[in-house]
Amino acid sequence: MSVTDERVEAPAPDFDPDRAWRVHPQVALRDESFGALAYHYGTRRLLFLKSRPLVDLVSALDRFESATAAIEALIPENEQAQYTRALARLAKSEVIDAR
Amino acid sequence: MLLSEDKEVQDAEPVSEDEVDELLVEEVSIDGMCGVY
Repeated sequence: MSVTDERVEAPAPDFDPDRAWRVHPQVALRDESFGALAYHYGTRRLLFLKSRPLVDLVSALDRFESATAAIEALIPENEQAQYTRALARLAKSEVIDAR
Repeated sequence: MLLSEDKEVQDAEPVSEDEVDELLVEEVSIDGMCGVY
C-alpha cells in the first residue's frame, strides 16, 4: 500500500522568460522606501525587492504576454539581464508564478 | 614596483553575478520568530 503525503507541494517551475507570469495569488507586496516587501502566505517566505523598477516590473507582469516583453518595456537594455535573473530568483521562491 | 593604489585594485575580489543580483532580491528567514511578539 502506498501512502501519499498531501503536504508535499509541487516544486516551483523553472523560470521561462518567454512565458506569461504574475504575482503569486498568495503573495502580498508592501511598498517600502527601498522597494517592497514580498510575503508568501503559503511558504511563509519573506523577500526584499530592493529596487523600485523591480517592484514596478513584478507588479506589471500580468499585463504582458511574457516576462521578456515586460522587461523590454520597463527596464533599460543594459540592465535587462540582471532583472531577468531577479525574476528567476523570485520564481524560485514562488513570489511569481506562471499564468 | 606597484603603487599602493594598484595593489588595492589587484586585491579587489571580483563581484559575482549572485552578489549583484542580491542587490535586487534578498530572502530573509523568519523561522524561529514565532513567539517573539
